[in-house]
Amino acid sequence: MEEAEKLKIEQRFPSWRELLKPVTEKDFKPGYYHYSALVRDVKALELPFPREWNPLEKDWKLPPNWKEIFLKKMKEALEKFRSFKLFMDICVRCGACADKCHYYLGTGDPKNMPVARAELIRSIYRRYFTPAGKLFGELAGARDLTEDVIKELYYYAYQCSLCRRCSAFCPYGIDTAEVIWVLRSILAEIGVVHRFSLISIAASARTGNHLGLLPGGIAGALQSIAEDVKEVTGIDIEVPINKKGADILFVAPSADYFATPHWFVCMGYLMLFHEIGLDYTWSTYASEGGNFGTFISYELAQKLNAKIYQEAERLGVKWILGGECGHMWRDKHQYIATMNPPPKTLEDPINPITGTYFENAAESKWVHIAEFVADLIAHKKLKLDPSRNDHWKVTFHDSCNPARAMGLFEEPRYVIKNVCNYFYEMPEHTIKEKTYCCGSGGGLLADEVMDLRMRGGMPRAMAIRYVHKKYGVNYLCTICAIDKAAFPTLLEYWKIPVEVGGMMELVGNALIMKGEKERTMDLRGNPLPGVNE
Amino acid sequence: MIGVIFGVIIPYIAVAIFVIGIIYRIINWANSAVPLKVPTTCGQQKSLKFIRRTIYDRFDSPYTKWETVVRMFLEIFFFRSLFRNTRYYLDKQMARDARWLWLFAILFHYSLLLVLLRHSRFFLQPVPEFIEMISNLEAFKGVYIPSLYISGILIVAALFALWFRRLFLSRERTLSLPSDHFALILLLAITISGNILRYFIKADLEAVKELIMNLMTFNIAEAVEVANTIEPIFYVHFFLGSFLLAYFPFSKLMHAGGVFFSPTRNMPNNNRAEIHVNPWNPPYKGLTWEEYYEMYKDQLDEIAEQGYKVKPEL
Repeated sequence: MEEAEKLKIEQRFPSWRELLKPVTEKDFKPGYYHYSALVRDVKALELPFPREWNPLEKDWKLPPNWKEIFLKKMKEALEKFRSFKLFMDICVRCGACADKCHYYLGTGDPKNMPVARAELIRSIYRRYFTPAGKLFGELAGARDLTEDVIKELYYYAYQCSLCRRCSAFCPYGIDTAEVIWVLRSILAEIGVVHRFSLISIAASARTGNHLGLLPGGIAGALQSIAEDVKEVTGIDIEVPINKKGADILFVAPSADYFATPHWFVCMGYLMLFHEIGLDYTWSTYASEGGNFGTFISYELAQKLNAKIYQEAERLGVKWILGGECGHMWRDKHQYIATMNPPPKTLEDPINPITGTYFENAAESKWVHIAEFVADLIAHKKLKLDPSRNDHWKVTFHDSCNPARAMGLFEEPRYVIKNVCNYFYEMPEHTIKEKTYCCGSGGGLLADEVMDLRMRGGMPRAMAIRYVHKKYGVNYLCTICAIDKAAFPTLLEYWKIPVEVGGMMELVGNALIMKGEKERTMDLRGNPLPGVNE
Repeated sequence: MIGVIFGVIIPYIAVAIFVIGIIYRIINWANSAVPLKVPTTCGQQKSLKFIRRTIYDRFDSPYTKWETVVRMFLEIFFFRSLFRNTRYYLDKQMARDARWLWLFAILFHYSLLLVLLRHSRFFLQPVPEFIEMISNLEAFKGVYIPSLYISGILIVAALFALWFRRLFLSRERTLSLPSDHFALILLLAITISGNILRYFIKADLEAVKELIMNLMTFNIAEAVEVANTIEPIFYVHFFLGSFLLAYFPFSKLMHAGGVFFSPTRNMPNNNRAEIHVNPWNPPYKGLTWEEYYEMYKDQLDEIAEQGYKVKPEL
């Protein structure tokens, strides 16, 4: 048998002086640097300095006064974001965050330690905004802002998935995600943005969703999904779209219309809503729960999430139910209502089936699907047959944002334990607030950074391998669309034979529907346990 | 002359820099806006009644103001987040609890607190009873002669432990800037010189107290007079302490004040129940329904013709 190539994680421990020296295009490794934004997307979003440029070339064609703009925008950011200012000032470099970053663990690159990542910009902050840095320069850990530094900032700002794991361990709560978010927005002001997020942001600004699906495409996708449901259950499901006067607007990440295994989750939504007779609607305009704008800047995030409340008002719904997605819930829990205050026409988020008032969503009117389903199950409104999931030994991956920007731990577990007989937790240090990123969040799902993603996903993959070996786990349940896209590749790379899916797929399998034919297969078309083909 | 410079002039300057510097830094932070409510949630959110929240969840993911206050209290007095610390073992691809840093940090900060409290005997007349009490307690008064203050020894030990981390652990060495070493060396110099004064070369404590009382009441003439009577060795400790005060507001030591402002810790996780207002929220610019409708009129009208729904055709 062919000996597999061994992957080495080489750790380097350079001196502090060397750490201040920028990594430039000459040292950029393939598989780690992002392609530059496309001119058409930069233009469409009216971002500054659209031009062709290549991160591997010496000349990045920065505007002539790039330095002035950068420092001006940085000064503004320091005034606009207390988090950014404070995090520039109070780090003591204790190193508690260092081995918490999955990119650091996977790559061994010292600049991927959260503290070192923040130091990249902190050194600029010291040089231009603090007396110590102005006086003592390098000795105070300060350095001049040069084109090389810009290149380094770009390289490492896009090697962070904004997962906030470091923030949970920092004694001062320093959140690298905040720092990198602000840094990316400053870089965007001098025309240094990566390609991947911008393609989706531009598509979402144009069509309402990241995939750029037009209304007919969305309707067609939902129809095909309903057809798949019919094949499994024999039930004809009507899927409401753009329906005025519905009780609830349902918003999911757009990957749920097309991608696999997202598709099975979408089948789960349709089956559940049909079964409980929910008066709801999809929207082709508010057809995207995700918000890649949150990866780049406040303004872009705001631009993308405004449509949902507008659509809720236009359709006259009472409240909004959100699907399975990770960063979407950072946006929907922490950002959207601040960026675009909700319209007055919305009403109290009350579950029409159980009468439960979702008190924790009182003002923003957004309820998470896991909260919604958990409530239905607790009130015994669903007939479930968990044995239909007996071919799955399930583990649950807490997605970064629902975990550390929302605190959604027990609701999905409650649902999963009610629809599955075999559920196993991954090791304690890899779940809940200590959960590891899939390695592809925060705008890093781009193909050109595959090496980085596969290495960054190492700690998570190893935790999955652990439960696979120990309990025979063969199903990784996640509630994040990016997870569902990233994990199949990651698990193949690390040779772990585990399928990836979502909570609502498991619910769909277990849900006993009125008038359904005898089920012989699960939502994937696999024969159900105990059924002979 | 030494007495005047190190006993009167420098302390005044240092205290002035300390007070003004700290006020400046705090106002400076407070002036930065807080656009978003971004707590890092390290526990179960408050949602449905049957979703159980443990006591840890309530304080690691606070929902109410009180829970947030407790979170901050735990963070400041028990270094809650540092207590969560783990260490990753690449060979086993697993993390394990690692609380050494937490232990050294706790030892250092609480020793410092005790040392500072004991020093208040130089500022306060009469010395409050509880200061006497803790001094006696931690010194095991009567067991050793002269009585040995545990905190004074522990603080040196903890500082060495913290410094050795930076010197001998490769990752920490890479991360440490000269200023990180400097702060530790400065604190070591202060604490060691303090111990020397306490146990070996004793200064005239009555005179020191008189000097400080006079400085505090701005009796400058008398302060100068007393200052000149004190042995120079005392001024090593006194000067280093003054220097620390002046250095404090402009260094990483300001983490002591900054931790109170940390937006990921001092805000409740009730985002959806109480909307945060961004003081500089820009006006919204994005695709409106009308624009959207214009662009995709045909397809949208088709959905309308189908009665705003689709169903399986098979």
